[in-house]
Amino acid sequence: MTATDVELPPLLIEKAPSGLTLVAIQKRGLPLFHVRLSLPAGACEDPRGKAGLAQFTLDLLRRGTRRRPAHDVDEMIESMGAQLYADVSTEEAALALTVPAELSERAFDALLEVALEPAFEESEVAAARRRAIAGLQSDLDEPSTVAGRAVVSLGYGPGHPYAHPSQGFRRDVETFQREDALSFHATRYQQQGGLLAVVGQATPRELLEQLQRKLAQWESSWPGRSQRSALQFAALPPSQEMRAVVIHKPDATQAQVRIVSPGLPRSTPRYTEAVVSNTALGGGFTSLLVDAIRVDRGLSYSVSTRLHMNRRAGLSVFSSFTKNETLRELVDLALEKMRAYAASGPSEDALEKARRYLAGLFPLGLESHEALAEQVADALLDGLGLDHLRTYRSRVLAVTAAQARTMAAELSPARDGALLTVVGEAAAARRALNGLCPVEVRQLEEFA
Amino acid sequence: MPLSEKDFPVEERSLKNGLQIRLLRDNSLPVCTLYGFFRVGSRNERPGITGISHLFEHMMFNGSKKYGPKEFDRRLEAAGGTSNAYTSHDLTAYYEDFASEALPLVLDLEADRMASLIIDDSSLAREREVVKEERRFRTDNDIDGMMDEALGALTFLAHPYRWPVIGWMSDIEAITRQDCERYFRRYYAPNNCTLVLVGDFEADAAMREIERLYGGIAPGEPLPAVTTGEPPQKGARRAEIRYPSQAPALLAGFRGPSGRDPDSLVLDLIETALSSGEGARLKRALVYEQELCVDSHVYYGWRMDPGLFEISLKLNPGVDPQRAESSLWAELSRLSDEQISERELERAKNLVRNQLLRALATTNGRAHTIGQMEVMLGTWRAMLDLPDRYASITAADVQRVARKTFAPHRRNVVTLVPGEVEA
Repeated sequence: MTATDVELPPLLIEKAPSGLTLVAIQKRGLPLFHVRLSLPAGACEDPRGKAGLAQFTLDLLRRGTRRRPAHDVDEMIESMGAQLYADVSTEEAALALTVPAELSERAFDALLEVALEPAFEESEVAAARRRAIAGLQSDLDEPSTVAGRAVVSLGYGPGHPYAHPSQGFRRDVETFQREDALSFHATRYQQQGGLLAVVGQATPRELLEQLQRKLAQWESSWPGRSQRSALQFAALPPSQEMRAVVIHKPDATQAQVRIVSPGLPRSTPRYTEAVVSNTALGGGFTSLLVDAIRVDRGLSYSVSTRLHMNRRAGLSVFSSFTKNETLRELVDLALEKMRAYAASGPSEDALEKARRYLAGLFPLGLESHEALAEQVADALLDGLGLDHLRTYRSRVLAVTAAQARTMAAELSPARDGALLTVVGEAAAARRALNGLCPVEVRQLEEFA
Repeated sequence: MPLSEKDFPVEERSLKNGLQIRLLRDNSLPVCTLYGFFRVGSRNERPGITGISHLFEHMMFNGSKKYGPKEFDRRLEAAGGTSNAYTSHDLTAYYEDFASEALPLVLDLEADRMASLIIDDSSLAREREVVKEERRFRTDNDIDGMMDEALGALTFLAHPYRWPVIGWMSDIEAITRQDCERYFRRYYAPNNCTLVLVGDFEADAAMREIERLYGGIAPGEPLPAVTTGEPPQKGARRAEIRYPSQAPALLAGFRGPSGRDPDSLVLDLIETALSSGEGARLKRALVYEQELCVDSHVYYGWRMDPGLFEISLKLNPGVDPQRAESSLWAELSRLSDEQISERELERAKNLVRNQLLRALATTNGRAHTIGQMEVMLGTWRAMLDLPDRYASITAADVQRVARKTFAPHRRNVVTLVPGEVEA
């Protein structure tokens, strides 16, 4: 361990015979207890033609269990002063609770009851379907949400397990029945591949024993493993020419802009090199792109590049927005700067700044009970191990100029064949993009 | 149970020029947060320069005597730190999160811009464009933003809470360099600032550095008081927005007390009972049972002067806003007509207490809470007593404050109706 490495708090990890990982982390200080359950039930597991089922199933968990109706479930959780965190990401479903330390037993039981014993009442399924459909339509009012949906839908290409937003599509959600949720829950909410983590004031040994007790108590409601077919990950569709998709938002005076190219999976051995290179290009507040677009020209309030890294594939995404009148100026400038960066990589100063920025701020991402549990869970489930966290700072500081330059070229969002997505007023956007690349106009409703 | 001063051993210091300093050491991680709270927000503006507090917040990152343009964040990030800021109706807050060894640099950066900010025409012109983009993003093309702006203008006839923090577009365009210079001299003096430092540092060394860097900055003149009050509301008010949206929406507002009024804490509990968690009253009734809304939110934030209790309903496509409005009034009447059960009151108290504890779980959260208490309630110690003060609130208090706040003649309602405005 070098001077720059991060010392994780005392913790114990145990793998149960079922394949469930147990994590017990001691965090002194405030009298809080956090429990987090991660399951291999993310959006990529949605069956074909059922985009959104993982999210739908998760939403239904708290709408009644085999022991109590929905209102009593809410009462059970919220009387502790807690709000249930429930989230579906591309890869997993996660449920979590943070409660005062003395309520740890109640929190454990509440979380496991919700996760493992949902009732999926017919009337609740029908109501959840109506809510989901209304929510999808309502989301069309938020240009940045539409842009986000378009990035994953179009960026990964048809048929790819990652090529839909976790909320799914209206056409699929309309078909959801009780049997869909039951079947998804039975096959995905299993112990194999799951992780149960706690963060509390007790010692890791005491916390682990509590985990083991709880696991034994709930064993009968929790299948160990189930049959499911492996996901098929095709390579992202190759494309030589840039193309633009404009999503028409009537009356918009501002255009949301995304430029997307294939990226890297999270398991890449070049993870830190990629992160450092991307930070110099479009992370932080002094990146090359923020400087050029916001500080020098005042074209936008927000400019960034992000690496969307999932376990099996990823995207490189440029994001910004500007008034309709300066859309072309912003796109031209972004492309010019990103292409130049792909050729040259970061300057020495920019590289050093990116390295120290990432290393300096890293401990803050492990500070709260919730963040600590999530980071440890992700490192283990993504197969990176705890050294990914412990040595992150020294690995970031060791990234060389040559490595950053290589990643700049390989990961630029503006590579040949990039996808330009604009959410805005179609006529204005079409005029602005004239002569840049082929432009296809799509209607907002297609992205519900 | 109150929070213990033993767990939050905040040191109170000050300089001769009036700069207030609050220090809280915690060496569990090699990081620090520094906040600078200035007692100025959009309530200190006037028509013609609305939005200057927020525009000025942007200008604070554009260079000072020692650290020129682009240097502030460049130096900070190169030392393992990040910065941000926000402006509200009542205050402007700047913060840095950073690796603890960068503390001398961070203090130097902050003191330098308080002592010698550079305001030039070209940086003002660029920053004005950035703020206009922010306004287009948060207000002109955002349903919540455009409704919130309309509600402020509807609810407040005279008080500066009438205009949005980001300001009217025509004022953003018209603010001059001279306006900014006057503003800086008046409001960015050390006697109008509270510094809060939390994290891994040595207190005496940090104080020596603060004294050295800030001690020579001259105090400003006493600030002009905000004297404009608000006449009593004598009847319900309504506004309508037509916009090509997918669904209608409703935003209701009721004038509330100032943050220092004890009833403010009662409204925190009412906010929680109505909207925190899936079992909250509005969510249960309007989202789950009656299926009128996609979502409901209630927002009540402490303000310096009597403020605003807001209820936002994002309606399901095709729902008649009047129907949703009637259901909303029925829920508010229930709070006024019937005492909340002890069980529900306890739920709200537990949620609020847990929220406070969670805010104190991070370095940034502790620094922000200490500064906010200092500026809004007059002392950071208020956070220690908060759990007990919430615990002492009774069901009768809730009913009394609900009756007073939600009386029909105090309603202000903005409705968003899908459709175009005819040219």
